[in-house]
Amino acid sequence: MVKYKWPILGVLFVGFATVPVWGSEYVLLFCLLYCLYLAMSQMWNLLAGYTSLLSLGQQAFIGFSGYAVAVLTNYYGVYIWLSVLIGGFFSVLLALFMSLFIFRMRGIYFAIGTWIFAEMLLLWFSNWKYVKYGTGLFIKPPHPPSMTTIYYASLIMGAGATAAIYIILRSKIGLGLMAMRDDEDVSEAMGVEIFRSKLFCFMVGSFITGLTAGVLYVFQIFIQPYKAFAIDWTVILVFIVIIGGIGTIEGPIVGTFIYVLLSQWLAEYAHISLLLLGIIAITIILLAPTGIMGTLHQKTGFAILSPRRL
Amino acid sequence: MESLLQPILNGVLLGGLYAVIAIGMSTMFGIVKLVNLAHGDLMIMSSYLSLVIVAWLGVNPLWSLLGVVPVMFFVGFFIQDFLINRVLGKEMEPPLLVAFGLSIIVQNFLLLIFTPDARSLTTDLAVKTIPLGEHLNLAVLYLVDFLLGGAVILAVYLFFKNTYMGRAIRAASDDEMGASLMGVNTRKIYAYAMGIAMMTAGVAGVLVGMTFTFYPHTGPQYLIIAMGVVIIGGLGSMKGCLAGGLILALAQLLGAHFTSPGYQLLFGYGALLVVLGLRPQGLFGGKI
Repeated sequence: MVKYKWPILGVLFVGFATVPVWGSEYVLLFCLLYCLYLAMSQMWNLLAGYTSLLSLGQQAFIGFSGYAVAVLTNYYGVYIWLSVLIGGFFSVLLALFMSLFIFRMRGIYFAIGTWIFAEMLLLWFSNWKYVKYGTGLFIKPPHPPSMTTIYYASLIMGAGATAAIYIILRSKIGLGLMAMRDDEDVSEAMGVEIFRSKLFCFMVGSFITGLTAGVLYVFQIFIQPYKAFAIDWTVILVFIVIIGGIGTIEGPIVGTFIYVLLSQWLAEYAHISLLLLGIIAITIILLAPTGIMGTLHQKTGFAILSPRRL
Repeated sequence: MESLLQPILNGVLLGGLYAVIAIGMSTMFGIVKLVNLAHGDLMIMSSYLSLVIVAWLGVNPLWSLLGVVPVMFFVGFFIQDFLINRVLGKEMEPPLLVAFGLSIIVQNFLLLIFTPDARSLTTDLAVKTIPLGEHLNLAVLYLVDFLLGGAVILAVYLFFKNTYMGRAIRAASDDEMGASLMGVNTRKIYAYAMGIAMMTAGVAGVLVGMTFTFYPHTGPQYLIIAMGVVIIGGLGSMKGCLAGGLILALAQLLGAHFTSPGYQLLFGYGALLVVLGLRPQGLFGGKI
């Protein structure tokens, strides 16, 4: 299986890249959402699964960057994809600012700290006249991009995020991260620069999450603080990664598929799909804590995107 | 100065309510090192439970405590026994994520049954006030919250100090191995502790339901309040729980008083971040 790794991945990528040619509108929508959620869940996986930064505040980046896109296109007439890019950088700035406070915290404190930041942003934006309080903004570029263009942007995000996490983990930083995950104190003594590696991953995570959120809001054309900064985003990412397998690159690929399938299937009953996801996630933590791909790897040794060098 | 007395009085009384919201969470952190992310949702679940009892029997919500509190004990006991005990170990994440999943399940389950409409437990207490001065009124409902909240915290304190079960729970938390060698079944003890924590959440749920409106999705809001209280006061400390409740409520109400009510929560979070940044272990917490 591992021998055919690159051909399999190549076929998958070509399949995705040609969706606008062979797929129906519905398939295109499905693949678009799949790529966006894949990118965001890979980034949560990078933070929680590899860097032991259990973030419950991903919605802070999603909302902040989404609003940046809305404000830049509506108020300043910036070209839509440029404003998505700037939104990503805004997201990094937010991450840097947050890190001043929360990087002194570990584990659960970090989780709570990130969440509280997101809640504060929600309060700020819903009380801010400039962004029309809680009513939200429509994103109105002068030339709205076509569905196919948005799809390719999301494909770049999905494939790019997966490639980025693979490259990071294969690099020296990734080696340090994995050592750190196993034993933080010993790895520090061995010369792993923990603080810098963590900060680097936090920034990469916020950048790609922010960019992806920008593409998502170009697609959704409407942003509203109670949805943009809702904890539901992180809930979904956590479930995707846990079901697929935390700390594996393949995990989110499988988990996102299950999530998007379930959420489309139960599109009219969003709460039922969340209820089901919650039950599946708890069952998986209790019975197979490494998730679908982690368990598969333990049982059969299957791993198509393992950052291991052997 | 006169106008400041009202937010201060309300802040103190609300602080008592915040403390009882947080006490269960603080206890569980102190004993099992578990951060129960479902605390807020289970609390709101008990508000709905009280709503059902009130609608069914037509009694005052305070009487529904007699039904809600025992039911919540069993809910807590089984959650700990069947779910969380299985994933307790060296790692912090799995129990946290189980609780997180549970929180989402409870929320969406409530949404499924009770629809997203706002509910409240209405009593005739809600409109009564006691005038204390020309511009100063004491809301009776807030006073009830404060007194009942204080009573619950005192009861929990006495329970841990004076009963055999309370001492066994503390022993299990201090030294799991030692306690189990002395014949304490630590896993069962944790389940009892969770049951007790959920009893306090039951009381908090009824009080919150009487004081404010609630929806299936209000749980996380109270979870954040509870976490705020626990973090400001120090995880696992009961004195800290009271102090944290007071500080958080006062920061919120005074902040709102000087700016606009829309920023009430923002000031609470601000106070929390200041404490987290300066003294991460909380005011009364030991080192972490």
